[in-house]
Amino acid sequence: MQDYDNRSMALSDAPPPIPQSAGEVAEIITTTNLKKIYHGVTVLDIPFMEIGNGESFGLVGNNGAGKTTFFRLILDLIEASSGEARIDGEKVARRDEWKSKVGSFLDEGFLIDFLTPEEYFTFTSKVYNKSEGDTALFLESMKEFFNGEILGTGKLIRDLSKGNQKKTGIAAALISDPQILILDEPFTALDPTSQIRLKKMLNELKTTKKITMLISSHDLNHITEVCDRIVVLEKGKVVRDIRTSENTLKELESYFAV
Amino acid sequence: MFDDSKRAFIAINDDKEIKKLIYPRRMYKTLFKHYRLKSYRSPGYYKNLVVNIFMGLTVLYFVVILVIMGIMLPGLLREIAPQQDSTAAFNGMMIYAVIALLMIRYLMQPLSALELENYRILPIKRETLVNYLLLKPLLNPLNYVTLCFAIPFAVTGIYPAYGTGCAFRFLLIVIFLIWFNTLLAPLLKRKFNNIFAGTIILLTITGVPAGLEYFKIFSLFQLSQHIFDFLTRTPFTWISALLPSALAFFLNKRYFAKNYYPENFDRKAKKKETDTGRFTFMERFGKIGEIISLEMRLVLRHKRTKRMLYTALFFLLYGLLFYPNATYNNSHEWLLFVAIFVTGTGMLIFGQWIISWDGSYFDFLMTRDIDSHTYIRANYFLLLALSIASFIATTPYFLFGKQIIIYHLVAFVYNIGVNIYAYLLGAVFNTKRIELAGGSPMNMQGVSYKNFVVMIPLLVIPVTLINLFNLFSAAHAALIIIAVMGLAGILFREPLLNMVEQQFLRRKYALCTGFRKKE
Repeated sequence: MQDYDNRSMALSDAPPPIPQSAGEVAEIITTTNLKKIYHGVTVLDIPFMEIGNGESFGLVGNNGAGKTTFFRLILDLIEASSGEARIDGEKVARRDEWKSKVGSFLDEGFLIDFLTPEEYFTFTSKVYNKSEGDTALFLESMKEFFNGEILGTGKLIRDLSKGNQKKTGIAAALISDPQILILDEPFTALDPTSQIRLKKMLNELKTTKKITMLISSHDLNHITEVCDRIVVLEKGKVVRDIRTSENTLKELESYFAV
Repeated sequence: MFDDSKRAFIAINDDKEIKKLIYPRRMYKTLFKHYRLKSYRSPGYYKNLVVNIFMGLTVLYFVVILVIMGIMLPGLLREIAPQQDSTAAFNGMMIYAVIALLMIRYLMQPLSALELENYRILPIKRETLVNYLLLKPLLNPLNYVTLCFAIPFAVTGIYPAYGTGCAFRFLLIVIFLIWFNTLLAPLLKRKFNNIFAGTIILLTITGVPAGLEYFKIFSLFQLSQHIFDFLTRTPFTWISALLPSALAFFLNKRYFAKNYYPENFDRKAKKKETDTGRFTFMERFGKIGEIISLEMRLVLRHKRTKRMLYTALFFLLYGLLFYPNATYNNSHEWLLFVAIFVTGTGMLIFGQWIISWDGSYFDFLMTRDIDSHTYIRANYFLLLALSIASFIATTPYFLFGKQIIIYHLVAFVYNIGVNIYAYLLGAVFNTKRIELAGGSPMNMQGVSYKNFVVMIPLLVIPVTLINLFNLFSAAHAALIIIAVMGLAGILFREPLLNMVEQQFLRRKYALCTGFRKKE
């Protein structure tokens, strides 16, 4: 803000600063002064964070670093102790407008375990007003990822293995064709083949649909392969914010090797 | 689950504890200690104090009733069958009582097998675990409730006629039979996994001797009388009453020896194709319809909710206790009470669970494109549908008199105009996650004092009103007031629902956080 005021004063006679406004549009998620305090312990404290439209944003950090807390704040599932998160310039707290733009899967709390995967997908897509044709088309595109184990088995989600539950959740996050995708540790519990397929799928979504992705992971290999930008959290604070390059993996490995 | 395994882990890391593991007798002590700790350390134990107190009072109520019945029974039996002495009559009913109680246990007693998973990987003899599993229910005081009835009877019925020795023998026999039932019921439960089929089998087993008795072909009553008269009157023969318990114990052990792996004795019905029938008629209502059909599936696909559905059917029959009886049929307050109760059955049973039964996927609902407006209305329409269904289901009661029609209509309007909002508001304040998968029928998990607070407007207000007006013999005025309250609620639906919605938004994070906590 300070910066902006100075500049506008200096350029008071010049035409409005175009790059500035263009820059604002490009930011799809912004958080300011975001803080979460549980019983006097600060678990997340991020003064400012911007995530660009179409950016793939990777979040890494040890257990308790605040990754899930950050995602939950953006998804308005917990109340921020201070500060706010905005999606597309609109506040998320206690609002519904952002929900149509975001697909997310954090944990098993996102699964309706007494439904079959088909019913779960149908329910989700109906909620987003998708037609049955769209849903069928989408599930067709997921066939490779599902590896023939999810659809048509007649099993309820609660009877699926952890890995298949995860696949179901990830697919349901994508069903609404979201602008923003938020996944918490999508690679854990998946078998190696599915991990590779998921990586491929995410990279495709990035290039073809320009989806903004927020992904957390403990696997440094995977996250550097998928994300253009990696943020390292430690005890709730941002300690690294890196554009991914060939050195990133080494940098991260040396950071975590203590 | 996790806590247990952690505890077991700590136990094995401790040098002293390792010794305990090796000696079976000490092992039992440790296992029973864990059993005790588990109940004390369960997160709901202290937090849920109000519910526990309420449950305690309910148990106390039944205990008092049983004690009174036990004291009264000798006199009662003398009245019914003056030619027979009360002890003999009681002994005659003994076998029937054992079968009836066995049936109740079969339906109510929870199985406790899966908890052992944490211990099975530890170096503990399997036999020790099986014995522990079998004997554990014998230590549960709740399983001895029958004694509350038997002890007073022994004091007032047997002791005066036959003396102390006989009374004590009688009580010992009762305890042995309780053991028999407690041991046999889980075995039956494991063998007949399907409760429905099992109940039918048990009913037949009871029905056949009852039929033979009725047609005077063979009297189980007399057999039972001979056996237990002999056992209570002859010294030391009472020990033979231990035989059935011992038999049940060994049958259990044989069963476990045969079915070594828990997957064999705890198996769910084999992978069954889920009926994927959709509630297509709900589709017309858009998102609201989708949410309602989701809740309907929820009810039909969980044991606990299905059991509640059966309970609802019993609740609907509640009126039969009152309406045919002239004392109640002429009392305004009873008529109103029963009318609100039966026409509100659906809401009464499921109303206190709405929203919190979405707990296990609440984060999902809150991040999908479902605005709070839609979500609250979906719950509203669900309750409305339940009330309409209950009202229609209770229309046969109209046969008991014209005034019933008026009372039911007033109660219905009151239910959907006032109580419905009480439930919605109550649901917004209930942050306890409900575990629907839990098996035991007396499961109070997820119930908090807030569920009882909701009951106040439900019954207390209208019944107080009608009592008050009845003092001036103007009960009809009270009915009109209650109906007007209901109509006002229906008329001001939108502002009232918006108010609930505001409260919901205000409480959203508390709900999310509460539902994420598993018990």
